[in-house]
Amino acid sequence: MRTSTPNFSNLIKNPLATIITLLAVSLTLLFLSPELSTRIKMTCAAPIRPMQWATCFCSNLASNFFDKVISTWQDTHRKKELEEHVVQLKNKLVEQQDTIYKLQNKLYTLSKFQVQNKNTELIPADIIGYDTSNLRKNIVINAGSKHGIKPNDIVVSHNALVGKITSVSGGSSVVQLITDPASRIPGRVVQTREQVIVEGNATNFCRLKYVPRWAKLKTGDDIVSSDIGGFYPSSLPIGTVLENKTKDGDLFQSVKVLPRVNISKIESVLVITN
Amino acid sequence: MRWIPFFCILFCISLFQSTMIHWINFGPAVPDLYFPLVVFYAFITDMKRNAIANWFTGLSKDLFSEGSFGINSIFFVAAGFFIWSVREILFRGHLVTQVLITFIFSVIYNVLYAIHVSISFHTLHFPTTLWIILSCSLYTSMLVPVLFWIFNKFCLSGGFFPIRGE
Repeated sequence: MRTSTPNFSNLIKNPLATIITLLAVSLTLLFLSPELSTRIKMTCAAPIRPMQWATCFCSNLASNFFDKVISTWQDTHRKKELEEHVVQLKNKLVEQQDTIYKLQNKLYTLSKFQVQNKNTELIPADIIGYDTSNLRKNIVINAGSKHGIKPNDIVVSHNALVGKITSVSGGSSVVQLITDPASRIPGRVVQTREQVIVEGNATNFCRLKYVPRWAKLKTGDDIVSSDIGGFYPSSLPIGTVLENKTKDGDLFQSVKVLPRVNISKIESVLVITN
Repeated sequence: MRWIPFFCILFCISLFQSTMIHWINFGPAVPDLYFPLVVFYAFITDMKRNAIANWFTGLSKDLFSEGSFGINSIFFVAAGFFIWSVREILFRGHLVTQVLITFIFSVIYNVLYAIHVSISFHTLHFPTTLWIILSCSLYTSMLVPVLFWIFNKFCLSGGFFPIRGE
């Protein structure tokens, strides 16, 4: 009587065995520690980052070119008027610069802020990639550990909060935007001094968590970051209240916030390292 | 099935999806260019190649996305397997079938992914997320005619139907 022994080449040919093997590999990857899986991701994606940068650069160039063409076509009749206005403003700017210089000197001597933030450094970076998932909001920037960026560094643009660094490789970093579902930021309503938590929900808007029913929020109120927890610097603009609803029986208000920074409209950011 | 064109297409999709996708966005509707590739390979190849192609597609999406590494490869292998198992009862050469299957399975995949995100972070707002899922799936399925034409040109030498007997 002949007995058959399991043959490895037959096992490879078996489609179900292939599927089970692939799923097993995926499950193994899924249960890896977050640090290890991030390291694998960043290492595997590193060779593609320069191409991402090149694509983004070309796309931005093309976008700027089209914007220029369209704006030139639309605004030719206003060009002269604006040029005169610019000359006037330039003259004013010279005046203002002198005043600012004097005030800066005063501020420098009076404020202790400079002393407290001596170690703070701003690193400019270009956006080179976006998250491929529809339900996550992250971007990739072309500055990494080589430039002194570390996880949890704060990212800003036009003086408003964009997000924080979640993972870093040599020449690139991933930024978790304030609209990502995993993002939660301690904030404060400027007008009412109410303390809130700003959380992302995978849309272009954020939501405020734990706003009590009696809080008198209104459309247009500004939300800034709060230094509670010591993670985010205080007073960084986050967004403005777009709408707030209070349903019967709910403990908290449902508040929709429009972020200050429209991520699809910016090409570069600043990373605050400490 | 030719693997080099597959990896070239996968690379191009990854590059486009991670850099220039906002050029073709309509508000919250963001097309997922990976998913039509999953449907395409589930329609034309045998079970084993389908699984391998979809696994690589999922892994590629995982690489350029934050969150659990490997989750998309599991979802894509599963989606590819289910589409492969029902393809014999479908008119898979017909454009309407391709669009509908892409839409239905894209909705299912996105719902499962949203549940995963929701379990992890507890932040998704149900009506908003549902609206995003439906708009994204609809947009993705609307791109199927163009994408399938491109995949057909690059991946198959003789068009869609000659592979049917494979």
